[in-house]
Amino acid sequence: MTLLSNKRLSSIAELDAQRKELLSSRAPSTKSVYVCTGPGCAAKGSPKLYELFREAVSQANVDVEIRAKAVGCHGLCEYGPIVIIEPGDIFYQRVEEPDVAEIFRETVLGGRLVDRLLYEHPATGEKLDTVDKIPFYQVQQRVALAYNGLIDPTEITDYITEGGYSALAKVLSSMTAEEVVSEVEAAGLRGRGGGGFPTARKWRSCREAEGSPKYVICNGDEGDPGAFMDRAIMEGNPHSVIEGMLIGAYAIGSSDGYIYVRNEYPLSVERLKLAIEQAKELGLIGENILGSSFSFDIRINRGGGAFVCGESTALMASLEGRPGEPRAKYVHTVESGLWEKPTNLNNVETWTNVPAIINRGGEWFAGIGTEKSKGTKVFSLVGKVVNTGLVEVPMGITLRQIIDEIGGGIPDGKRFKAVQTGGPSGGCIPAEHLDARVDFDELTKLGSMMGSGGMIVMDEDTCMVRVAKYFTDFLQKESCGKCTPCREGLAQMLYILDRITDGEGQVGDVERLEGLAELMEGTALCALGKTAANPVISTIRYFRDEYDAHIKEKHCPAKECRGLFRYEIDADACKSCGICLQNCPAEAITGEKKVPYVIDQEKCTLCGTCWEKCPFAAVLKV
Amino acid sequence: MPTVTIDGCKVTVKKDETILDAARKAGIWIPTLCYHPAVPSDASCRLCMVELDRGDWRQLVTSCNYPVRRDIVVYVSSERAEAARRGVMELLLARAPESGELKALAERMGVYETRYPNVTESQRNCILCGLCVSVCEQIIGKAAIGFAGRGVDRAVAAPFRQPSEDCIGCGACAAICPVGTIKIRIHADEQEVEISPFKSRAKLLVCEQCGALVASKQVSEQALTRSNLNSEEFRASLRLCPKCRRLQTAGQLGAATFYKK
Ligand SMILES: Cc1cc2nc3c(=O)[nH]c(=O)nc-3n(C[C@H](O)[C@H](O)[C@H](O)COP(=O)(O)O)c2cc1C
Ligand code: SF4
Repeated sequence: MTLLSNKRLSSIAELDAQRKELLSSRAPSTKSVYVCTGPGCAAKGSPKLYELFREAVSQANVDVEIRAKAVGCHGLCEYGPIVIIEPGDIFYQRVEEPDVAEIFRETVLGGRLVDRLLYEHPATGEKLDTVDKIPFYQVQQRVALAYNGLIDPTEITDYITEGGYSALAKVLSSMTAEEVVSEVEAAGLRGRGGGGFPTARKWRSCREAEGSPKYVICNGDEGDPGAFMDRAIMEGNPHSVIEGMLIGAYAIGSSDGYIYVRNEYPLSVERLKLAIEQAKELGLIGENILGSSFSFDIRINRGGGAFVCGESTALMASLEGRPGEPRAKYVHTVESGLWEKPTNLNNVETWTNVPAIINRGGEWFAGIGTEKSKGTKVFSLVGKVVNTGLVEVPMGITLRQIIDEIGGGIPDGKRFKAVQTGGPSGGCIPAEHLDARVDFDELTKLGSMMGSGGMIVMDEDTCMVRVAKYFTDFLQKESCGKCTPCREGLAQMLYILDRITDGEGQVGDVERLEGLAELMEGTALCALGKTAANPVISTIRYFRDEYDAHIKEKHCPAKECRGLFRYEIDADACKSCGICLQNCPAEAITGEKKVPYVIDQEKCTLCGTCWEKCPFAAVLKV
Repeated sequence: MPTVTIDGCKVTVKKDETILDAARKAGIWIPTLCYHPAVPSDASCRLCMVELDRGDWRQLVTSCNYPVRRDIVVYVSSERAEAARRGVMELLLARAPESGELKALAERMGVYETRYPNVTESQRNCILCGLCVSVCEQIIGKAAIGFAGRGVDRAVAAPFRQPSEDCIGCGACAAICPVGTIKIRIHADEQEVEISPFKSRAKLLVCEQCGALVASKQVSEQALTRSNLNSEEFRASLRLCPKCRRLQTAGQLGAATFYKK
């Protein structure tokens, strides 16, 4: 269905006409099958499902138009692969290859439900047939991900039909550069890449900076482990990023753009490339866009492969072909950035919000959220929650709502312990602050941060010292090593954390960690080093007792640190089956028929085999 | 011209001069390691931290590359600035415990020991300030050495950690190294100069008169091209060691008899 015959649109009127044509051609009876090909579902084999649906479409000789589409992430990745059938908004989860024929026959052609594939309400067990009934989606509000899963990212016509590029048209036809900046200012949009810097202020400084050319960059480096918010946007709705950049470039006075995409995201690169190509063919990128005097070109660069390359100055060094290492920012990048020219860098999600703000108005956007944090935020919800996946929530929602209502609570009846937000240099927030709101400043006050939207939920079995060690280790490996406090400080911290979790912690180690943290925060060159102590500091702040237990009692309360807990056999639960004895490689277990077995602590090497093998869960960690 | 008030002392500097420039003008000492006027500041050692007054708060900044653009107030000997500098120095002492130069600088700052153990050693006694890398690339024009690895594994090395073909044996890196880690070794019997720890070697010129070792051949060549004194007469003079050259010049001036007596 290619209505746009690669014809360059030379005016806004032509764009509008195309959209009208596309809309009217969309038959109301059209049936669609949406197959999620976001990262989560794709990993579970959804591309194959997509192929199978396409085959089914081509084989079925029916006169209704059926479109099988590969679309971006729906969230709720835990239940993937996800398939949605229109009309009716029927939601099928955990779809496997053999289910395709049945869905096609029953639902697509017959209009009947396949009960077995419906989502079950986690609390009531009730089968829910449509998307809007599922609690996971009820609490969410989608702006950045609004069209993820609805449009085919490989078809610019889909984006245009849904109103895409109308914000650009509006800007070009009726707004001055300053009016655009003011609209974004009224929206209260703050950067989604980590720092939460007011976007309009950055744009204005860049616009007012002396020097030309000016550059506009999209940061798609997304290096946080386990995060894929930006990836989902780049792959699910690449045109929204491009349209945002076009609007920003118009406001700033730039005609050169770069998208810096993480090296591990080949599909993002492919989708963006295709999107740019399609936009160029239509004259939405290039010279004299839509007949105006505004020209803009976008190039794609693949990332340098290191986490620190996502830092603004390192990213620019990498774009220039130099090693991706940060430099001092006493002179801001908006004044002297890429090739020492004024440069405006924003995150993928920041850019994506821009068209919506222009279309619906800054006031609308500012109506969502808290006093100083406006709009929505996408999070990658992972860890010990029932539902994991991408979620987009209005700012101001509580952490509890995200974890319980969207995440479906903690699995296996375990207790919640902490939620880590903000990526590797974020912090851990304990149960007593679960009613804190998702808000840049509130999360910072709690010793964590918004970051780019990682959210890892931990249950009672998680040792918080180990959590701190895990992130410190990650950051130590990712530190570029340029400046003393980050390079040496992280190594010293890790050395101390290692000895604490090995049971060799010394009294005063917590204070040593605090001292290093203060030093790094004050003296490191870039934000990686300045914030690298957050995981340690926030766990000391909320879980000091766990540090003390490791250091003073040589005991790991969560029983994760080997050597800092014992295995014992619960005499009441032991059925004297002898399985533990047979499996113990250290011959540390004794016992006989009808008498509970016992572990000889002297001989026990703490390998944990008995704990794993006991069929009656009679082996306990104490 | 903006005024910098450092610990209450006022100095004016040109726009975009640094806080360190201002402090030096005012005669106030700020310890530095990775700073050298010959090369641009990278501010990687973080030793020159001072506190900048931001109105309702104070920010720690590196004085060596903070450009002064308007009137500012700076504290060099505030408690926080001193603690920051000492903390950085302690980390460096843990990394390079055997450097006498580093120890001397530490003592001048009032740091007599470090509370940290030696846990990082990608390169013995190297503090990774990067001055050697900068001088080789930007002044000598060779880039025979560079950074390899990242994080704690970062090290200064020649490509593939092999003796570099590009090294001309000039010793600029050794001269600029603030902790005495890079050394020039003369192998008299082989008439070679070695730059340690990079193991690169260069042949030395031998004085035609007395047989003393002079600079390396490449250094001599580079000096000639750079100095625009590429005449045969000047070239001839470079084939002598400095002492013999003085004697020759004196002889040419007709002072030989006077000199010999
Ligand atoms: C170590 C480090 C890694 C970063 N990685 C990213 C990243 O992957 N993506 C991103 O958008 N911002 C990242 N940032 C933040 C950027 O430096 C920058 O602030 C951001 O891209 C600005 O965009 P915004 O104002 O739209 O948030 C990182 C910062 C640091 C210090
Ligand atoms: S803080 Fe860390 S990552 Fe940043 S410049 Fe220093 S060593 Fe590199």
